[in-house]
Amino acid sequence: MALLPKNKKTVKERAKIIRIPPKRDFDGLCFQLEHVDPTMRRWGARDLADYGDEGAAVLCPRLAKESDQTVREAYFDSLATIGGSAVVEGVMPLLRSEDAALRNSAIELFQSLPDAVTPQMEELLTDDDSDVRIFAIDILHDLRHPKGTEWLLAVLERDKHPNVIGTVVDRLAETAPPEAITALREAAVRWGDEPYLTFAIETALAAIGEA
Amino acid sequence: MVGVADAIEDSGPSSAPSLSEKDFTRFRDYFYRKTGIWFNESKRYFVDKRILARMKIVKKETFRSYFTYMRFQVSGEELRCLVESMTVNESYFFREEYQFKCMVHSLLNEIVEYKRPGEAIRIWSLPCSTGEEPYSIALYLLEYWPGINEFDVEIVASDIDSQAMARAQKGIYTTSDVRQLPPTLLAKYFTRQGPKNYQIIEDIRSCVTFSEVNLSSRLDVKRFRAFDLIFCRNLLIYFDDAMRRQAAGSMYDALNPGGFVCLGHSESMSRISSLFEPRKFTEAMVHQKSFDAARMP
Repeated sequence: MALLPKNKKTVKERAKIIRIPPKRDFDGLCFQLEHVDPTMRRWGARDLADYGDEGAAVLCPRLAKESDQTVREAYFDSLATIGGSAVVEGVMPLLRSEDAALRNSAIELFQSLPDAVTPQMEELLTDDDSDVRIFAIDILHDLRHPKGTEWLLAVLERDKHPNVIGTVVDRLAETAPPEAITALREAAVRWGDEPYLTFAIETALAAIGEA
Repeated sequence: MVGVADAIEDSGPSSAPSLSEKDFTRFRDYFYRKTGIWFNESKRYFVDKRILARMKIVKKETFRSYFTYMRFQVSGEELRCLVESMTVNESYFFREEYQFKCMVHSLLNEIVEYKRPGEAIRIWSLPCSTGEEPYSIALYLLEYWPGINEFDVEIVASDIDSQAMARAQKGIYTTSDVRQLPPTLLAKYFTRQGPKNYQIIEDIRSCVTFSEVNLSSRLDVKRFRAFDLIFCRNLLIYFDDAMRRQAAGSMYDALNPGGFVCLGHSESMSRISSLFEPRKFTEAMVHQKSFDAARMP
C-alpha cells in the first residue's frame, strides 16, 4: 500500500467511493427537503440555491420547522446565495422567533444582503416591538451600508426605550463617527436619569475623543 | 483599490505617525472578530504602518473616517485589501508542521478505524498554490506514518490559480522554499536544478492529483467528495463572512463522516460555522464532521 499515483484509480473504482449523485429537478429537490435523512435534506436545501426566488419561496417557510443545525445552515447559505427582496421578506418573520439561533442566523443573513435589506431597515428600526428594533440595530452592526451611521443617529434621537438607546450607543462607541457627537450629547441630557445610559454615552464620546 | 503596504516611509517606530491607543484597540478588536488574527502590543508598529498606508491610499485623513469607510463599504474591497496587507502568506515546505505531525500521530489513526477494506484515504489540499503543501503531506506520510505501508492514500491538490498549479506540477523550488526540510529529506526527494533550485522527484509529483477549483463556487466544489482530511490553511481569512460560511459548508459536504479539517493557525471554524466539532489533539486543534452525518450521495 502506498501513495497512489494519480492515474492509478480507475473511474469505476472512484465511483465506489464518490457515488456520483443523480440529476435532480426542482420538484425532486423540494421532495428531498422532507427526507428523513438530514444529509439528504441538506443536499436538497443546498441545490435549491440554483432556483433563485422559486427556491427561496420553498426554503423560507420551512426554515422554522427544520430542527437539524446542519440543514438549517444549508438553508441560510442558499438564501444568502439567492439574495434579494424575496429572501428578506421571507426570513423577516424570524426576527420575532423565540428561537435565538434562528434569529441570530436571520440577522447574519441580513448583514450579508445590504441592498436587499435597506428598504426594510426604516420599518424595522421603527417597529412597535423594542426587541425587533434592537435586532435591527444588530443587523447594522456588520451591515456594509453608507447609511448605517445615519440610521443609528435617527434611532438615538427618537427612540423612547432605554435598551434600544443602549444598543445604539454601543454601536456608536465601536465606530466612533465624529458626526455622532451632537446627538450623543443631546441624548446624555435626555437620558440623564438613567446612570447606565449616561455612562455608555460618556464611553462613546470618549471613543470619539470628545468626553 | 490595491495599494502598496510600504507607501509610508520606514523611518522606524519612534518617529513614524501612529494610531492612538484607543484607535489601535478598536481596530484590533474588530480585526480579531473578522479574521481571528490578534495583534498584541509588540505588533503596534506593524499594524500602524499598514493602516496608515491604507489611509493614504484611500485618502482618509483620520483613523475614524477610515474605519467607518472600511466597515461600511458595500463591496468590502477595502477590508480585503487591509487583510492582505496585514497577513503574510508565504508558502514553503513543512509550513505549520505541527499539523502534519497531528496528521500522522493522531488524525490518520482515527480515520483508518472507519475505512472499509481496500478503501483509500483521501486528503485534499486547498489552496495548494505552488505545491509545497500537498508535497509536504506526501513526504510526511512516507517518512513519518507507518500506516502508509498498509493503506492507500490519495492526495488531491486544488487551487483557483491555474498558473500556480502549473508551477506546482513542475515541482521546482528555491532554497528558501525548502529551508524547513531536514537535509536528509532534501537529499532523498529532490534533485538540484542549478545553484539555487531544487526539483521534487517524479515519484512524488506523480502522487498528487492537481485539479482547479473555485471554493467560492458551490457548483465547482460539488464534484469534490468523500475526503477524509482537508487542509485549508490561511484562505478563509480573505473571504467575507457569507463566503466563509459557504466555503465551510462546501468542505463539510466534501468530507466523509468523521473527516477532519485543518485551518490556518489563526483561523477558527467555530467563528465561521457550527457544522464542525472542534477536536483538540496534542499537536493541534482541528475540526471534525460528525460521524452521525451520512456520506453525501
